[in-house]
Amino acid sequence: MREAPGLLDYARRWPLRLVMIAVGLFLYLPLMVLIVMSFNDSRRTTQWKGFTLDWYVAVFRDGELVQALLNSLTIAAFSTMLSVVLGTLAAIALWRFRFGGRTTLEGAFALPIVVPEICLGVALLIFFAKVMPWPVGMPWPLNLGSIVIAHVAFSFPFVAVVVRARLASFDRSQEEAARDLGASQWRALVDVVIPHLRPALFAGALLAFTLSLDDFVITFFTAGPDTVTFPVKVYSMVRFSVTPKVNAISTLLLLFTVILTFVALRLQARAEAERKA
Amino acid sequence: MDRGVDWRRNKAGFLAVLAPPLGWLMLFFIVPMAVVWAYSFGTNEGIADIRISGTFANYARAIEPLYLGIMAKSLAFAALATLVCLIVGFPVALAISFAPANLKTWLLIGVMLPFWTNLLIRTYALIALMRDEGIINHALKFAFGWAGFEPLRMMNTNFAVLVGLVYVHLPFMVLPLYAALDRLDRSLLEASLDLGAGHIRTIFTIVIPLAAPGIASGLLLTFIPVLGSYLASDLLGGADSQMIANVIERQFKRANDWPFGAALAFMLMYLTFIGIALQSVTRRRRERE
Amino acid sequence: MAELEGAAIWQGLSQSRLSRRGLLSSLGVAAIGFTLQACGQGSGSKGDPAGDKINFYTWDTYIGATTLADFETANGIKVQTSYFATNDELFAKLKAGNPGYDVIVPSNEFVTRMRLAKMLEPLDMAKLPNIKNIAPEFMEADYDSPPPRHSVPYTWLVLGIGYRKSRVNGTPDSWKWLFDSDLYKGRIALTSEAADLIRLGAKFMGKSLNGVDPATAKAVEDMLIRQKPNIKAFHEDNGQDMLLAGDVDLVLETNGDIAQIAVEDPDIAFVVPKEGSLLNADTLCIPKGAPRPDQAHNFINFLLDATVGKHIIETILYPTPNAAAKLLMPESYRANPIIFPTGAGMDASEWGKFEGADKARAFEEAITRVRAA
Repeated sequence: MREAPGLLDYARRWPLRLVMIAVGLFLYLPLMVLIVMSFNDSRRTTQWKGFTLDWYVAVFRDGELVQALLNSLTIAAFSTMLSVVLGTLAAIALWRFRFGGRTTLEGAFALPIVVPEICLGVALLIFFAKVMPWPVGMPWPLNLGSIVIAHVAFSFPFVAVVVRARLASFDRSQEEAARDLGASQWRALVDVVIPHLRPALFAGALLAFTLSLDDFVITFFTAGPDTVTFPVKVYSMVRFSVTPKVNAISTLLLLFTVILTFVALRLQARAEAERKA
Repeated sequence: MDRGVDWRRNKAGFLAVLAPPLGWLMLFFIVPMAVVWAYSFGTNEGIADIRISGTFANYARAIEPLYLGIMAKSLAFAALATLVCLIVGFPVALAISFAPANLKTWLLIGVMLPFWTNLLIRTYALIALMRDEGIINHALKFAFGWAGFEPLRMMNTNFAVLVGLVYVHLPFMVLPLYAALDRLDRSLLEASLDLGAGHIRTIFTIVIPLAAPGIASGLLLTFIPVLGSYLASDLLGGADSQMIANVIERQFKRANDWPFGAALAFMLMYLTFIGIALQSVTRRRRERE
Repeated sequence: MAELEGAAIWQGLSQSRLSRRGLLSSLGVAAIGFTLQACGQGSGSKGDPAGDKINFYTWDTYIGATTLADFETANGIKVQTSYFATNDELFAKLKAGNPGYDVIVPSNEFVTRMRLAKMLEPLDMAKLPNIKNIAPEFMEADYDSPPPRHSVPYTWLVLGIGYRKSRVNGTPDSWKWLFDSDLYKGRIALTSEAADLIRLGAKFMGKSLNGVDPATAKAVEDMLIRQKPNIKAFHEDNGQDMLLAGDVDLVLETNGDIAQIAVEDPDIAFVVPKEGSLLNADTLCIPKGAPRPDQAHNFINFLLDATVGKHIIETILYPTPNAAAKLLMPESYRANPIIFPTGAGMDASEWGKFEGADKARAFEEAITRVRAA
């Protein structure tokens, strides 16, 4: 027999369950529409006319759309890696060391979070045109460089914030213990602090990846003539209205993300099991 | 609070950690922004050049009643959207934090997943749902058509913009809220319930105050992007839905008036900074208590 | 801001201790990216040597289905396309310096603007023999004077009223129904382009759309403010979508956009109001500093060819200034009243002129006031 929900077992009580279902519907109904419309036998994505797989075929035939998506994924990957590194370094620098101007620096690192995207986009456009021109015609993936730089610039402060919060809960004594046992500063950092930071690194990576993948404004302003990125390509289709082809590739992207998450979680579970064994 | 090691004790280490992020920030953020800031004091010369003339004309124009009015309206609307996110997000965060451990990750990812779809496409999906002959109205007509049913006017209204904004920014609210709620000491809640307070009362008198820093972060991390987004009101809004972000966007694009756009954008930033400063001050005062 | 701020977004997930996931997915993605790239997908951002490709910056879906491939077959040059959604984006991108585009597609008013800003290369007519295909009235329009020419017309359009026949009385052949009447309250969508609104308002009031004086502009602004309660939305170039989906019954749009949806819904029609309207042309130009001007000329000449032009038109269904291509098209295209409107409205229509940045800014501010009212 199912036991009654415990006192704090809010998740099993009907009010919260109702809320969860309502919110779930709210979040996923548009996505369902998106997926269903990708099979729509019409050029428009807002009225159902019949079932077809043509759009999926069109996606694979449209070299440019696929290229755009690949570019965006690559940019997101590089941006995430760099942002996690830089964000962690920034957080460690602010946490570990005492120095004059620390508060100012904290504020400075928080600036990219506060700036309206269009302002930063224009700023970087001018920068890459006049101050530090990014060479054109470079081989892939270097031609994505200016975009990656821009994405890292606005992502790593988010990572820093997340990691910093986690560091705040770090027990210094663990690190001191490691040092007492003879580890150098560096080793102590790598073997004691970084493992503690793992959840923060995950959260930060997740955040950075999301910020990069969906970015439009800054990507638009920093892309070179020989790069097509996914959000920009989709937005430029607005003039002729978005066709189900875009729905199709979004569905594929969603599928890919879900599979990747699943795989990563599986790997993680296995690693945990091995560690415990 | 851990004050940290004095940097002089380990100069090499300090520089090793600080130099890369600081360098990146300086070169790829501060310098470009400084250029735009300089532009806000500039004037357009001819069609494509901008001369930094040290003029305050752009700022003077930015504080004209027309633009101040739009800014005030946008701030109010963004506050409303943020509030709705809070009201919707809080129960969700609560539910997730009290869910069994293995379910938590999936629920959190479930909240983040829509975020990985392209913004424009999600917005088009919302349009398909909300328009006069859209899916919701079709469903309602199917169910209630016999009773003489008028389609719900949802699209091209401020309501639609609100829905769009909440839809896009909910994860920004749920994650910090969840983080704060998860840290809560359950025994405090149990004690309160034991002492006879109802669930609702417990939530309001115990949970919310304890989770206050998390709520504050969530509010901040939601409010700022909401203020700066223009796609939602462009695509979902009616004749009435002009926000300051749209105006700024138009200055950089259609009006080709970068100095003025820069001035407006910086005005927005000064306001945000003031907001953040106020928030830190109140937080510091609370900490001292 | 930091310490409590991030409010342990991390902590939320600390339970799960999913350490390597973030890094793992990033690496996974990059790996897949590299592999697929190596499998020869993708359209050529592989660092081809300078002579083997050109960079084409254009509107989306504004070319025939096989045009670019045909060009590559005929000339061995690959065309790398990037897209923009509005002329202003194009201008904003190029304002700071040409990042490497060879051929661009600005509208006529932007040709004037960019010529003034010295952002365009003059065209070498000797390299463009197919220019003879263009109907003379388009070559004479004065947005690209004095010679030498810097642009070549690619398509042309006229603004007008797209409407749903079954929900509108007769033919709404006056701007009045959009600007100054509550007959279709809540079923109207106007464009959000400030300059278009003010100038068409001036046309409605019987004035020319060039040289609009401040008094007329103010009158139009006041009229629009009065009309605002009747307007459902200011669309961002997706007016035809709104019409097709039944959100509105009248929309201020270009004939090309309306022609495309009329194919899907015969209840849609288009009219150029009798007071006259604005004529536009999208043109092919070579921006200053284009790395491969010879190939650029080659490409433009290719697009001007009659058969190539026909293929393009078959796909995009826009009016064409290319008389030779038009002759090759079926009668249904040439006689299509939406694509080639006739009547009093067309006779009274004018080409818009770029009249300086100050005027553009004034119009912008006027419409900002309308929308804030």
